[in-house]
Amino acid sequence: MSGIICAIRGGPHSQPTIRKAISLAKETRLLLHFLYVVNLEFLSRTASSRVQVIQEEMQQMGEFILLAAQSTASAEGVNADGLVRHGKVRDEVIRICHEIGADYLVLGRPRVEREDTLFTDELLAQFVKRTEAETGAKVVLSEEETT
Amino acid sequence: VKRWSTHWLVVFFALILAAIPYFFPISGKAQEASWENLVTGKILDRQAQPVQSATVSISEGKESQVLAESTSQPDGSYELELPEAIPANLFLHVHHAHFKDSTLALDAQMLEDLRNGHPVVMPKLVIYRQINLAFWASTLIFIIMLVLIATGKLHNALSALTAATLLLAFSYLGHPISENFYIFDFNNAMRYVDWNVIFLIMGMMIVIAVVERTGLFQWLAFNAYRISGGRIWLLLLILMIITGVTSAFLDNVTTMLLVTPISVQIALALGINPLVLLIPEVLASNIVGISTLIGTPTNILIGSYAKISFNAFLTNLTPGVLLALVGLIVYCEWIFHKELKLKHEQGISSTLLERLEQRAQISEPDHLKKSGWVGAGMLVLFIFGEKIHLVPAVTALIGATVLLLWIKPDIEEMIESVDWTTLVFFISLFIVVGAIQEVGLISFIADGISRIVGDHLVLAMLAIIWLSALLSTAIPNIPFTAAMLPVIGYLTATIPGAESKVLFFCLSIGSAMGGNGSLIGASANMVTAGIAERAGYPITYLYFLKKGFPALLITVGLATIWVLIHFL
Repeated sequence: MSGIICAIRGGPHSQPTIRKAISLAKETRLLLHFLYVVNLEFLSRTASSRVQVIQEEMQQMGEFILLAAQSTASAEGVNADGLVRHGKVRDEVIRICHEIGADYLVLGRPRVEREDTLFTDELLAQFVKRTEAETGAKVVLSEEETT
Repeated sequence: VKRWSTHWLVVFFALILAAIPYFFPISGKAQEASWENLVTGKILDRQAQPVQSATVSISEGKESQVLAESTSQPDGSYELELPEAIPANLFLHVHHAHFKDSTLALDAQMLEDLRNGHPVVMPKLVIYRQINLAFWASTLIFIIMLVLIATGKLHNALSALTAATLLLAFSYLGHPISENFYIFDFNNAMRYVDWNVIFLIMGMMIVIAVVERTGLFQWLAFNAYRISGGRIWLLLLILMIITGVTSAFLDNVTTMLLVTPISVQIALALGINPLVLLIPEVLASNIVGISTLIGTPTNILIGSYAKISFNAFLTNLTPGVLLALVGLIVYCEWIFHKELKLKHEQGISSTLLERLEQRAQISEPDHLKKSGWVGAGMLVLFIFGEKIHLVPAVTALIGATVLLLWIKPDIEEMIESVDWTTLVFFISLFIVVGAIQEVGLISFIADGISRIVGDHLVLAMLAIIWLSALLSTAIPNIPFTAAMLPVIGYLTATIPGAESKVLFFCLSIGSAMGGNGSLIGASANMVTAGIAERAGYPITYLYFLKKGFPALLITVGLATIWVLIHFL
């Protein structure tokens, strides 16, 4: 199995990433997989015990966000599927690249440099290097700034 | 997650087990009542509140041997039984670690009465606070706890548990060195834990755990969309009402955890920014939650402390809350009017709507039906139970137990659904607030407020509503409310006209509606922001402030008008 992984969060800032992945899929004729990672770390300080309650809801929200991306791809004539995973974004992205033997990984650049942003410029550079080395997938960053 | 909740479960039960000796003490030999040579009286502090655990003794002279010794009770009363031979002079001494020592001489008439075998009732003795090391340590630990919770540097429950442990450790380890280190002992600390609050919250959590799995909220939200017929202004109105009414019976965090993901999906299907729905929903949740005793943790705290019934909250607050909600709806329709003008055909996705419809099903209709019956029964007990002095905690436990017996769920799963961290947080918080009450910080605050407002009820009402609303934008409202309760209790006892408990209702309004003033003002705001961010729509502190703070001013203003009209 091979293909393109496009990790998205949803929202307007994910649109350039989705468009980049779609154009890459058209170019390479590889299967496009949109990925949404459910990360509930934000509940750790306010409602840590509610993680189980919200997990299914977040899964459904993730599937919904992916469905929207798949609809966009479909409108462009590209078939895409959606994958929802639970855990830390970086770990899950690497895991899924391994699982499907991804050729490309499409990511968005962080819009704002923030301490808690997963993909700050510096971290992103490290992550790109690490992912390419570990998975053999080529990392493509969307040119427009995204979160 | 499982390991984490088990962890808290162990801590919770350890605290309960440790408290058992306090509630079921091994009784000593019963003392026979004797009225002869008996000296009784009451010890009060400057705010006319009873002083418990003061050592009261009687001696012939200031430095002479003690003839009788006793400890003051929770109502401040004491009894001293003197030997038969009454000396020429007697002095009553009062000693308490957090008050200045006080001595009172028994007058000639009292001595004569004692010699004739008559009991003597001493005049009420007022003793004065002293600031010592224990005062500063307790104050510092309390402030650090507030800062840790407000900044999110440490989990709420862990912050409170650490603070409670530090206070007890300071007291126990420091006391052998100097009495200045003494705050309270374990039994005294447990005295401050309000078990009515703990069991009410626990019972409600079990009921909520059943209801939240039925898919009711997703079904309600989707039907709001259907009823609105794609008119976004109407959808917003219905969602605000649904969220508000739900929040009156469930806690706000649970409500927003369940409503936010489905609202995001509805917004995406309609092609609108989800924040147009989420911000009004969370604002409505924080406001309408206060219309019932069980709607917010702050109301549970207030209701239990001030003995305010479910009905009293309904009759005294609900009209004001509805007024505030109308104001909020008008405000939200105005600030989002551009987005609300969009015709639904502009961005609607039929694929997404189909998916939404598939998901918006009641997943466990049988559980929903049963929990509906139990919920209705609980409501009846909450409303009419006060006639038979049924405390809300017992109603919640009855409801939870009946529901568990009726639907027979996986009991381990249900017990895990109970938010043990919150219960540990409340128990620890009660201990921390008890410490600052014990050392006198609360008395000083009460004194300060009392000096400012004097005997003016209106001034006190305005001060409490607005001060607590503004402070709640920065300070976590649960510890704030817990600390304010004894202060309000004092003001209620001293300000003419406050007997209606109006000041407690003012605290309820201020502390809950104040949560709308900033992103960190309420846990429901944080949870909503967290989910929205994961959908790609981050809510920044400034964005929330811009939308939430005017909402605070409008809704607290309207609620203020209501309490002034209703109570004056």
